[in-house]
Amino acid sequence: MPEDKWEPKILAFCCNWCSYAGADAAGLERRQVPPTIRVIRVMCSGRIDPAFVILGLLEGADAVLVTGCHIGDCHYVNANNQTRNRYEFLKEFVDELGLEPERLWLRWISASEGLLFAEMVREVTEKIREIGPSPLRRDWKK
Amino acid sequence: MPRYYLAWAKDERIREKGANGGFVTATLVSALETGFIDAALVVEKKSVYEGIPVLTSNPEVVKECAGSLHGAPINLTKYVVDYGAKKRIGLPTKPCDARGIIEQAKRRQVNLDNIVMIGLNCGGTLHPLRMREMAADFFGFDPDAVVKEEIKEGKICLVSKEEGMGEKEKWVKIDALEQKGYGRRDACKSCVTKIPTSADLACGNWGSNDTQKTFVEVLTEKGEAILKNAIESGYVEIEEAPGEGIEKRKQIEAGMQRLAEDWKERMDEVSALSRSERLEFYVDALKNCIGCGACKEVCPVCACEAGAKCLDMNDARDSYVVSMYNMLRIFHLMDSCIGCGECEDVCPVDIPLTLIHRRFSERMQRHLGYTPGMDVKERPPLYETELRWSAEE
Ligand SMILES: Cc1cc2nc3c(=O)[nH]c(=O)nc-3n(C[C@H](O)[C@H](O)[C@H](O)COP(=O)(O)OP(=O)(O)OC[C@H]3O[C@@H](n4cnc5c(N)ncnc54)[C@H](O)[C@@H]3O)c2cc1C
Ligand code: FES
Repeated sequence: MPEDKWEPKILAFCCNWCSYAGADAAGLERRQVPPTIRVIRVMCSGRIDPAFVILGLLEGADAVLVTGCHIGDCHYVNANNQTRNRYEFLKEFVDELGLEPERLWLRWISASEGLLFAEMVREVTEKIREIGPSPLRRDWKK
Repeated sequence: MPRYYLAWAKDERIREKGANGGFVTATLVSALETGFIDAALVVEKKSVYEGIPVLTSNPEVVKECAGSLHGAPINLTKYVVDYGAKKRIGLPTKPCDARGIIEQAKRRQVNLDNIVMIGLNCGGTLHPLRMREMAADFFGFDPDAVVKEEIKEGKICLVSKEEGMGEKEKWVKIDALEQKGYGRRDACKSCVTKIPTSADLACGNWGSNDTQKTFVEVLTEKGEAILKNAIESGYVEIEEAPGEGIEKRKQIEAGMQRLAEDWKERMDEVSALSRSERLEFYVDALKNCIGCGACKEVCPVCACEAGAKCLDMNDARDSYVVSMYNMLRIFHLMDSCIGCGECEDVCPVDIPLTLIHRRFSERMQRHLGYTPGMDVKERPPLYETELRWSAEE
């Protein structure tokens, strides 16, 4: 792909009960969502093994979003507390590795927050356009 | 019962052969003889550059293994895991051995009730290959002719014995060696855990005023029991440690820790780099990896078996910029790496793993306020549901 045509590729993990439904709501409400996002649905954000996030980055995602129900709303009691714990590890990991912190996001989005979902994707897309493609892409030239 | 003693083996042969009075050996022998333990795990000297772990219930073998080997940077953790399930084992533990065993206990790989850790204070070990180079370049000895080594008061001594030339002994300041890139392993130079406080006893020469008396700190009830057992069965004698000895030991420890912090800064070539240069450094260093898996095999903290995630999710054909294997190992050790440097020792392509793991784990552990290998009741934070720091808020 020629350089000027580059568009961010953003990988989003969405939990079945909240943020995935939130993404659905964004569609139903006919909100504009940038086509930069690729959604992977998981039953719960607690299923998002940090290894998935790392794998996404190695596969060439320019950013990875971890999303789930608001704290206290998780449909599996408190699994998203674990998500939050793991995110703290991932944040330090991504930073130390030398990636920009903006390549990793954590957002809580409920089933009714279509607007929030659309805005999040817009915000992330803009940020990634600013900082450019991920250095972990396989076609990365030093 | 005070917690600090000077102790020594009653048996003169053990006292002579031991590093500082043979207390550790005599205690293990008595524990074996009285049935306090079923087996002892000790380190057998093959040469000054090689020590191999031996699991034995024969007291004579334990006696043969008395003395400290500074050129045998092995970690005993995995041997306890492999053989410790059904047996009661007593063993000498450097701080990194003790911390590894505690981490394995947290992961339910060993039952601490079955293990008595006789801790050894440790100023550090030398890598056997670097030690051979040192013998040739710094001492002017034929590396194969070196028959004895000793470390005392900041100096290292080698004794060489060549045919027709008799014995030659030479002492060199460790600091002078290390300024020139020889000396202790990088992991040891930067290690701040010099006294194994997570073991049952902590033994060493710091604070002892006699080369044939071991300074012993009693740390747990189990430690007290094995000491009592050794005294009552007539293998060991003790006296109370003098106050100035306790003070001196503390001072030396603090001095060594300061030195370690110093080394840490000096050896960290990454801290001066920018963010993108840092990534370049890691990618360059890790791209040499041939995926042999040796670092995982020796890692005293890792409790995963053949189906481990780092192996399972790795496929060389992916040709990622950095392999999934390396990324996952680094990630999984962020809260638990004890900085022992075993991984770097066995790496066939010399990846600076000690530095890499330290860079990632030190900042995470500081952030968590967690030190692995010290308290068996503290679970690894990555497994926790709640954030450690939010619980305190
Ligand atoms: C690598 C190393 C560094 C040390 N550095 C210090 C120091 O800086 N300050 C200090 O006060 N004390 C240090 N010690 C401890 C000290 O040398 C004595 O081991 C301690 O005082 C006990 O003396 P002892 O005569 O009772 O032990 P011994 O009766 O001689 O028994 C020592 C036991 O340690 C085992 N052993 C030998 N080498 C190793 C090894 N590499 N890893 C694990 N086990 C081993 C032997 O098999 C033996 O069972 C160190 C020990 C080692 C092994
Ligand atoms: S169900 Fe949505 S985060 Fe657990």
